[in-house]
Amino acid sequence: MTKALLQLAALFSTLSLSAFGGGKVILPTMHQAAVGEYDWMTSQQFVDLFSISMAAPGPSMMMVSLVGLKACLPYGTVIALLGALVATIGMFLPSSILVFVAGGFWDRWEESPWRKTIKKAIMPISTGLILAATWIIAKDSIHSVATGIMAMVALGLMLFTKLNPVLMMGAAGVISWGFLK
Amino acid sequence: MPKNPDSTAAPEATLASPIPSLAEIAGLFAFIGITSFGGGLTAYIRRMVVTKKRWLTDEEFMPGLGLVQLLPGANVVGLSVYIGNHLRGPLGSIVAVTSVITPPFFIVCALGFLYLHAGKTTDTGAILAGVTAAACGLMASMVFEAGQKAINGFFDIFLISMTFALTRLAHLHVPYVILIMAPLAIWWHRPRPDKSGSGKTPGSDLPST
Repeated sequence: MTKALLQLAALFSTLSLSAFGGGKVILPTMHQAAVGEYDWMTSQQFVDLFSISMAAPGPSMMMVSLVGLKACLPYGTVIALLGALVATIGMFLPSSILVFVAGGFWDRWEESPWRKTIKKAIMPISTGLILAATWIIAKDSIHSVATGIMAMVALGLMLFTKLNPVLMMGAAGVISWGFLK
Repeated sequence: MPKNPDSTAAPEATLASPIPSLAEIAGLFAFIGITSFGGGLTAYIRRMVVTKKRWLTDEEFMPGLGLVQLLPGANVVGLSVYIGNHLRGPLGSIVAVTSVITPPFFIVCALGFLYLHAGKTTDTGAILAGVTAAACGLMASMVFEAGQKAINGFFDIFLISMTFALTRLAHLHVPYVILIMAPLAIWWHRPRPDKSGSGKTPGSDLPST
């Protein structure tokens, strides 16, 4: 139990400072750790939980809490909640402290040409990481022609309309319940 | 930099509201936490804090947005830290962040328990099949959106491919991928004085810290 909690704390506090461009970019390592190295869940469970976290309110990456929850679920409900808490604090504390500290120096940096450089440098890296994350999700979400079509329609809706993503996911759940059951 | 709460007299005030109390900060950020769904969140926070509540001016908000976009972590969380600190100092930061995360934390944990305990029935399986497929489409749309901003030339495509390959094919963990790719990307996008590339060595105008 203590081992799992320590593993969660170590994993997410390291990942916290790597999440350039938001929580999505660390998804590949979360998957690798949770499914492969620590064997906390199956790949399908990972993708299911990830989708649940996307459909729920809150900052991106409440998935972190769910990984903590599942990792500690074998030890009971209370410990599972504790695991979720440890993972969440591990994820959000280091990056929050960084924002707090960096805020004090920001005035000097704001005009620097390096600010643009870093922004331009981060974008392609986070794009590559989000692509890798999408790949992982696709492998366990597209099982059939029907789910493939749904993913394509969802992609189109997100790119070309201003539809709220949560509404879209909710509608997809209802439609698929009606047809795939 | 927290504002002095006693400075009531600000005649030129673009800031119409007085400095909010910690309870007010907690209330608003908890509300933002629960009601923030999907994309466009930074715009949503701006509307709440700048336009509606008028706790900050745009001149105060925008640098914060620039900061959190550059630093690692979720933008919503970073902005909460920045805005909380701006309004009420360190304590304001702590209150804002805790408030924005706590309600979603309990909601997502409740959903997680439901899923993990109920297991997969034909019903939940069918619903989840649709939700995961839609989530996959949503993620793919983020690849397109990020790619649109990222790709300004051939080298950016190379950077994206390299990052993808290191992650998916070499199975490196994200922190290592960043340690490898960031110097390369920063070097390529370094500030260049002119197109002629006159004398100045790249890096010479690195801000002293």
